[in-house]
Amino acid sequence: MENILECQNLVKFYPKCLALNSVNLTVPKGKIVGLLGPNGSGKSTLIKLANDLIQPTSGKILIAGMEPGIETKKIVSYLPERTYLNDWMTVNDMIGFFSDFYQDFNKGKAYDMLARLGVNPSLRLKTMSKGTKEKVQLILVMSREAQLYLLDEPIGGVDPAARDYILDTIIGNYNPEATVIISTHLIADVEKILDEVIFINQGNIVLVSTVDDIRENENKSVDALFREVFKC
Amino acid sequence: MAWNLKSDRPIYSQLVEQIELLIVSGIYPAGSKLPSVRDLAGEASVNPNTMQRALAQLENDGLLYTQRTSGRFVTEDVERIMQIKNNLAQGLIKEFIENMRNLGYDTKQAIQLLEKTAEEEE
Amino acid sequence: MLRKLLKYEIKATSRIFLPMYALLIVFALLNKFFMAVNSELLRIPRAIAATVFVFIIIGLCVVTLVVTIQRFNKSLLTDEGYLSFTLPVRIHSHIDSKMLVTLMWTILSFLVSMVSIFIMSIDKTTIWSLHRFVNELMRVLNKIGFNGYVLVLESILFVIIGILSVTLEIYAAITVGNMSSKHKLLAGVGAYLGFGVIQQIIMSIIMSTCEKSISQYFDSMIRAGELAQVQLAQTVLFGLIAYMVIMGVVFYFFTEWMLRKKLNLE
Repeated sequence: MENILECQNLVKFYPKCLALNSVNLTVPKGKIVGLLGPNGSGKSTLIKLANDLIQPTSGKILIAGMEPGIETKKIVSYLPERTYLNDWMTVNDMIGFFSDFYQDFNKGKAYDMLARLGVNPSLRLKTMSKGTKEKVQLILVMSREAQLYLLDEPIGGVDPAARDYILDTIIGNYNPEATVIISTHLIADVEKILDEVIFINQGNIVLVSTVDDIRENENKSVDALFREVFKC
Repeated sequence: MAWNLKSDRPIYSQLVEQIELLIVSGIYPAGSKLPSVRDLAGEASVNPNTMQRALAQLENDGLLYTQRTSGRFVTEDVERIMQIKNNLAQGLIKEFIENMRNLGYDTKQAIQLLEKTAEEEE
Repeated sequence: MLRKLLKYEIKATSRIFLPMYALLIVFALLNKFFMAVNSELLRIPRAIAATVFVFIIIGLCVVTLVVTIQRFNKSLLTDEGYLSFTLPVRIHSHIDSKMLVTLMWTILSFLVSMVSIFIMSIDKTTIWSLHRFVNELMRVLNKIGFNGYVLVLESILFVIIGILSVTLEIYAAITVGNMSSKHKLLAGVGAYLGFGVIQQIIMSIIMSTCEKSISQYFDSMIRAGELAQVQLAQTVLFGLIAYMVIMGVVFYFFTEWMLRKKLNLE
């Protein structure tokens, strides 16, 4: 099984709109992939489908050859757009929670990263700023030794220093066997760390390519190409 | 050192150039051990696969070699490093001459100006 | 995995219930102290302590309900749902853990309330009358024999299944309410009332179709004397339990299906 993620004629209808229009897509193992598109293009829908949070209208989505379910949740580490941490818990509690439920959770790694970030793990999450909470959540997600990381807008709405921290954390924890999919519309910031990009617009896959191919063939950055493709 | 990557050229070829520079300028001396791919990628904030590709290219060029157990090293072949260094220098000189020519100086004038400026700097 | 979910569910809820229990016991002791002193000077503090005690008991009931709603809603249907539903856990287990913990706290709240009242009112006369009540109960049970014990067992089962069934009905209502894009709370209340109406209709259909046989059965049983009345109570309880089990199962699978197939977290 070489593909970690595979979509076959994947369609998702919401009551009032078509979020994904017969998407066919394969993402191989061992890549950092950017899922790029403007707001409302279907990025989050695709990621939610991969996490079994919503059900496809028709077609299939497969993770390591399996339909989303308990077995895929064991190998997928997901960073949603929202912060989902329980306010009343301490960071220590959250680490306990993650290592209770996820067998691939690496406690040592989590404590290492927290120490580097200077977060006291016995603090309650309630006392932390939104930015710190987001970083703690990223640390929890990246401390799993998963096969697929799905990061939904990990750098949206954070300051440039935090952005660098997040990207460095992603690179620093990268395991050549695993695939990381990063959904974002802030392309200039992420393109250096991507192998491949997927352009998505209005529920359709517009382009799949490697970053260096785009730069070599088009003589422009992915960001510049994106602006061209999605010009309003 | 800061990694300076431009956005309109392939990342991997820029990485190759910058690591070459690190080697010929002696920051990574002949025979020394290179940091791991992950550390280098982290330092440059680039994808580890891209860094891997750049290092593989440098290995092909004979500037680096891998020892299976202990990692990646700069070649001990000082001549090879000097050769690369000369290539880089020649490239810069060609560019310099080209630019001076565009300003209307011939080679001789350009060299005179170069010597004068260098003296003043000292 | 259910055990781990239970562990965290208890952890999340005990920080609310345990302090309330402690408070209840403290006020029971305080009331006991004021009653023992029985001084004119302490009349006002005594009245206050007694009132607070009653409010804590009422509060306990309200909190039990609110926590039941809140825990289900917050950890499954708000942002926390992103974590809950991506744990490698079946949706069944989420419902199971929340429902069992609600049952646990409801029973514990009842027991602690009883204990606190007991603490407050314990003296020679109350012990004696309690003693007499227990003796009388045992005497009746012994007289009735086996059927009496079945009746007690049925009553306990009735309470437990009743709590679970109501809890599941609340879960189903919250889940339906969550489908509404705006007024989730209002829609939830509406759904709960709607379930009530549906149940009323079902009940009245059952009643009207077998009204005659039921009343005949009641008549014959009541005329047949004490033993038959016990049997009658057993049958009625059994009927109610069966009804609640069916409703509970329906709500359980309905909620599970909605969460699995229809949920779309914002």
